[in-house]
Amino acid sequence: MINRRDFLATSVLGAGAMALAPSFNQSFAAAGANAHPKRFIFIRKSSGIRPLEIALRDFSEKDKALDEKKEPLEADLDKHELPKWLRGLDAYKEHMTILQGLSAKMSENVHWSFSSVMGCFKSNRNTLSAIKRTTVDFELAKLFPSPFGHVELSFADGRTGIVDGYSAPAPQTRNYCYADPETARDELFKSVLNPEAVSSDNDMLSFLQSREGLKISGVSGHEKKRQEMHIQSIDAIRERNRRLIELSGSIAEHLPEISEVHADGGRNASTPEKQAAMTDILVAAMVAGLANVVTYTIDDLGTPITGLPGNETDRVGIHPLGHDEAFGGVPAWKTREQIRISHVNQIRTIIEKLKLVPEGDGTMFDNTMIMYFPENGETHHGVGSESPFLIMAGSNCNLNISGRYIRLPYLGNEGHKTLGNWYTTLLNAHGNPIEHYGDLDPEMSRKKLPQTGSITRFLA
Amino acid sequence: MSRSISTESRMQTHFIALAVFVSIFAAARADDTFAVPESVTKVLAGRCLDCHSGDSPEGDVRLDTIEQLELADRLDLLNRAQEQLFLGRMPPEDAEQPTMTQRAVLADWLSQELRRFKASKLEQKLQKPEFGNYIDHDKLFSGEFKDLPGFTWNRRWLISEYIFNAKFQRILQSNAKARRNGTNVSVFGSHRINQLSLTNPFLLPTRSGVRYYANTDLTGGHLSSMLTNAQKTSGYMTDYLVKRNAKYLPAVTAIMAMENEHNLKLATRRQFLNDFIARLCEEYYDAENQALLPKFVPVQLKEVEALAEGETYKKAPFHVAQNMLTGLEGETTVYQALMDPAHEDKSDEDFRKLCERIWFYFGDHERKIQGRMTILRDYMPDIRDNLAKNSRKFKRLVYKPLADDEMQVIQASIRKHRRPGDHYVAIIDRCMTEWEREFQQQRIEAGPPSDELLSELVEQLMVLILERSPSAEDADEYLALSKSYVQKLGNLKAIQKLIQTLILSSEFAYRPEFGSGEPDEHGRRIMSPRDASYAIAYALTDQSPDEELVEAAETGRLTTREDYKRELTRILQKRDVYYLIDPILTDSNYQDNTTDTAIRKLRFFREFFGYPKAITIFKDEKRFGGDRFGNAMSRLLNETDRLVEHILERDEHVFEELLTTEEFFVYHDGDNERMQAASDRIKRIYDHFKDTDWQNFKKEDLLDHRDFLKEVKMRSVDPDKLEARNRQGTTIQLFKKSMETITARLDRGQKEAAPFDLYRGYGNDFMSGYNVAKFFNISLDSWDYQTVQPAKVANRRGLLTHPAWLIAHSQNTETDPVIRGKWVRENLLAGWVPDVPISVDAVIPEDHNRTLRDRLASATETDYCWKCHKHMNPLGYAFERYDDFGRYREEEELEYPDKLVKAGPEQRGNHLIETRDTYETLPVDSIGHLVGTGDDSLDGDVDGAMDLAERLGKSRRVRQSIIRHAFRYFMGRNERLSDSKTLIDAEQEYIESNGSFDAVIVSLLTSDSFIYRKAIEN
Repeated sequence: MINRRDFLATSVLGAGAMALAPSFNQSFAAAGANAHPKRFIFIRKSSGIRPLEIALRDFSEKDKALDEKKEPLEADLDKHELPKWLRGLDAYKEHMTILQGLSAKMSENVHWSFSSVMGCFKSNRNTLSAIKRTTVDFELAKLFPSPFGHVELSFADGRTGIVDGYSAPAPQTRNYCYADPETARDELFKSVLNPEAVSSDNDMLSFLQSREGLKISGVSGHEKKRQEMHIQSIDAIRERNRRLIELSGSIAEHLPEISEVHADGGRNASTPEKQAAMTDILVAAMVAGLANVVTYTIDDLGTPITGLPGNETDRVGIHPLGHDEAFGGVPAWKTREQIRISHVNQIRTIIEKLKLVPEGDGTMFDNTMIMYFPENGETHHGVGSESPFLIMAGSNCNLNISGRYIRLPYLGNEGHKTLGNWYTTLLNAHGNPIEHYGDLDPEMSRKKLPQTGSITRFLA
Repeated sequence: MSRSISTESRMQTHFIALAVFVSIFAAARADDTFAVPESVTKVLAGRCLDCHSGDSPEGDVRLDTIEQLELADRLDLLNRAQEQLFLGRMPPEDAEQPTMTQRAVLADWLSQELRRFKASKLEQKLQKPEFGNYIDHDKLFSGEFKDLPGFTWNRRWLISEYIFNAKFQRILQSNAKARRNGTNVSVFGSHRINQLSLTNPFLLPTRSGVRYYANTDLTGGHLSSMLTNAQKTSGYMTDYLVKRNAKYLPAVTAIMAMENEHNLKLATRRQFLNDFIARLCEEYYDAENQALLPKFVPVQLKEVEALAEGETYKKAPFHVAQNMLTGLEGETTVYQALMDPAHEDKSDEDFRKLCERIWFYFGDHERKIQGRMTILRDYMPDIRDNLAKNSRKFKRLVYKPLADDEMQVIQASIRKHRRPGDHYVAIIDRCMTEWEREFQQQRIEAGPPSDELLSELVEQLMVLILERSPSAEDADEYLALSKSYVQKLGNLKAIQKLIQTLILSSEFAYRPEFGSGEPDEHGRRIMSPRDASYAIAYALTDQSPDEELVEAAETGRLTTREDYKRELTRILQKRDVYYLIDPILTDSNYQDNTTDTAIRKLRFFREFFGYPKAITIFKDEKRFGGDRFGNAMSRLLNETDRLVEHILERDEHVFEELLTTEEFFVYHDGDNERMQAASDRIKRIYDHFKDTDWQNFKKEDLLDHRDFLKEVKMRSVDPDKLEARNRQGTTIQLFKKSMETITARLDRGQKEAAPFDLYRGYGNDFMSGYNVAKFFNISLDSWDYQTVQPAKVANRRGLLTHPAWLIAHSQNTETDPVIRGKWVRENLLAGWVPDVPISVDAVIPEDHNRTLRDRLASATETDYCWKCHKHMNPLGYAFERYDDFGRYREEEELEYPDKLVKAGPEQRGNHLIETRDTYETLPVDSIGHLVGTGDDSLDGDVDGAMDLAERLGKSRRVRQSIIRHAFRYFMGRNERLSDSKTLIDAEQEYIESNGSFDAVIVSLLTSDSFIYRKAIEN
């Protein structure tokens, strides 16, 4: 692991490179030196994950008591049956971690957390100035640069097109996201699908470069250096566009096909169809090498849901379901379970598809980590006392957690871990030696309990 | 002490002079060979190697092996040596000192070696505001350098986050509103720009002190964000603003006239067909119409299954279904059909069938129809009821044909494109395709826009975006570019691209400040009038020059010192423009956050004191002791701003007042009359009921006081609605809750009543943030409220004892004497503290039986640490009488579980409750020590922060230090010895004007340092 001093020296480059990343002009981040980068997929779901929903049903009496009392325990998943909604991942238990007991009180809770669940700050109802720091997904993306740096996909609020996202490439900066499969495909694969757009940008940049170049002759000293930097900045974007065009041949090989139903934002596509198409695009973008970090808001309380088993011909709302208000004669809990099953189906598809892509001595999944978690804590009106995580990690994952059900000590107790500890662990394990990521928990602070740093026993 | 400083400063001056000379010499040597010259070796051997050689060198710095070091290590060592020498810290005070010549030899060599590789960290530091104090203070104010001609290099200054917002607000005609004295006013300074989510790449650092400096360069990161911003902006301008206002960009309107006309026509036709195609087809085809329609196929709905035993089912309420019907685009059909008299007798079943057929024949997607039909199946009575209750919301669509010629086109097209079995939407789509093609052909035949029109476009866009007309050369270049864009992209995209091009030009991102005209004998030129107009405008505001300033620049009335003074004075006195003080407070839903003072004047003190940072310090409500901490914090910052504004408005002894005022605002909006009226109302209620048995009132008893209650309007207590209730309770319960808090505010002999909410409910019935009182140790139930403010508050003197400053310079759960002391050292005493060595990872030890000061002392008062900490801790200790919430204390709570005396109650809907836990305590020791004022009568032990503030307020050095910071803030650069006269004059103006900060600003901005510019030499 590099030390703090080395990191400070190198992170300047990283930050500069990342500033270029959240753009729809196909900017390139700095080229990665790592032949097989690690990949991270963050899947945000709404309306909480209730700790009991994700708990194992066939615990021993002793473990069941511990789990219900929220006392620490570990269990080998291989020796247990998964809850019904997780059974789609039965074949991949060895890669699975069910992580219980993390708290998320330093982020926003109740109905929405916006950017805060991935940044460990209070998001003040999604105001820009409250975005206190780069979210953890962008921090990881700095460590594993790629042409897009970071990609955000979202079905939040039933929107379509390119809209505001929840991730933050920097403090007080909001990322954009692709809100329907067609837009995601068009933008991510623009160099193949719409090279004219890149070309027209280049015309403009060329003009700007030549005009700014003329100004050099009239200045000297620092102003000259400043002007040179400006021209270099323009040139850097042109160069990235040029490289993307060059790569378009190989990118085209991975161009995903999507059905007609997704045209014009896919207003008539069912939820399973939308999810499946987005999953295809997500995987294709990763396989094409366009991004190593993807954040995917698979739903929020405003996402319209249609076509779920049991409610095939109904439209259902996640918010009412969270209040136990139901549709089509199907009890709310059953529909909520079907929603989670639809999510798990996507996770399984991602694993299966990445396992088909050879990489090194294994497959692309070996270097991939999928995290599925609630954006707002432990229930529909979460308070952040718990924030269950489902993690599916490939064999080369830098953490020693796979195949286990882990319940950490509950909030306010010795050894408790927060979302900040978890993200610190992720960052430390992958080369960012940050001492602690995110705001601290007030209750832990009040009780003078240690709460900074990584979860050291998870580090491989 | 003063002798020593004086010697150091002479050496610094000498060093700077040498550095300039050396740079020319150094440029000649570009090779990377390294050898220590003999002259340097001699000095090192005589003055340095005794300590810095061998296997155990002092401070782990070894100079005798420098020639063997790798380049990176060598440069690191040379940098450390250069800084030590520059600051006069080596050799140490107790060692034999080198001669002036020897120092010069060393300085010369170090500078030369580092410049060879452009690696001097000291030179980089000297460009940054946080190292501004490296220039010797006494020298600057000694008068010795008063005759050096002041100037600023010609430069471009990157725009700030605030100027970015102002530029886009202006270009996009964004009109932000805020609350001021109870009304909505237009304000400058919002960062919400027409709901466009622009990314501001020019955010300033969040530190205390000067944040906006002219040493930042535009990078690829800025440019990349601006590319996206430019795309969004151009779309908004052409797609919305131009259409809303024909005068906005008339050239765009003219170029797009034909296309806009076509689009309008297409949109009208599509809407008309969507609404009435069924009717038209029946009219055109009569009896044949039905035969031409596709065969009706009903959708299948999933059967509702019986619930399992014991299973419960709670149907989603109607408003959810109604929203879904809207989302499924079925609402119009349903309600229009319900309002149609032809269907008024239809049963629910028949009505559903009717809707389904309408949707089917139109060609809606099966899934949409299924979703709508499910809603109609489950909620039909609710839908009818909704229409009956809200009939005014629904307006019946009445058929009205378009103009005859349009109707002929439509009829012809429908007849041309309709095929048997077509859904209506298929016919519409074919018609639209044909019309779009026809219109496109018409535009091609009309040809591209004329050169004249494109030139007008260039002129209008440059004036709008760059605020100037194009030069002849610009006009030619941009015309050629526009033609090229039009040819490749078509009119609309070409216009958008041209907008983007201008937004991405360096001229947009930088503010130029160049001299013009003939140079004086020192090679200086006065700023060009246009540049001066921006420099003045941006010095005091974030906006471009106002009309008067533009006129002055254009009419030759911005060329002399007097001209500058006239304009500066005018803007400083202007009170008809409102500025949002802090968009972050607005984001926190705190609207009453404006000033009519030139915003950058107020912002200087916000940034200098750094109190806005308090909002970023994460605090625990439980430790705060009250709820709605965010509201209280927003009000705290707002009232700190109000206090600063109040002092600036009086403009007398400003620095002293800021440091020593005993009067503060606490839960007060600045309007004494309004606050008095609010207090009077509560007193009236108290007086009315105090002698009654209100605690045992039944709801009917309120009727005995009906007239009174109707007049005073107690929140949620309406005697005509005795049965009403909200989430906090019934009318009578809320009356009693209110009476409890009203009684608490007046039953202990208080003269006035604090006008906070009558009871704790959703929202606020008077002003948010009542718990701001807690920061000042004021309990809500014993508050003797001051209706006339600012007013004296116990145990406070000046901004350094204001909770906002104290919190901003604290940690999450503890005070921070180091950071508080460092702030005083650097900001008020013009001192500096060395960088934290990278090897230092100091942790204050935990000990449940000691105070923080005691624990901090054990970690920092060792010899090695104390070298630096002696500059900070003794100053910071004086603030220990205030905890990390800024609350005054004489005892420090030992906040450990094993020291808990009593757990505080949880907040249960009563804002009078104090929720803090109680712990064992130890006495606070706030004796500190002040060194560095240069005045023996002020230096010495201090008894707490109030004593410290009193002494600082009397210090000349403090006054000068604030002026140095003001110089950096307004000039955007660090002071140099050649700015000596500017600083001395500013101080003199301050004294002669009875302590006016306006006088300081005018003095600085009419100084040679500001108005004269000099060309940079390579």
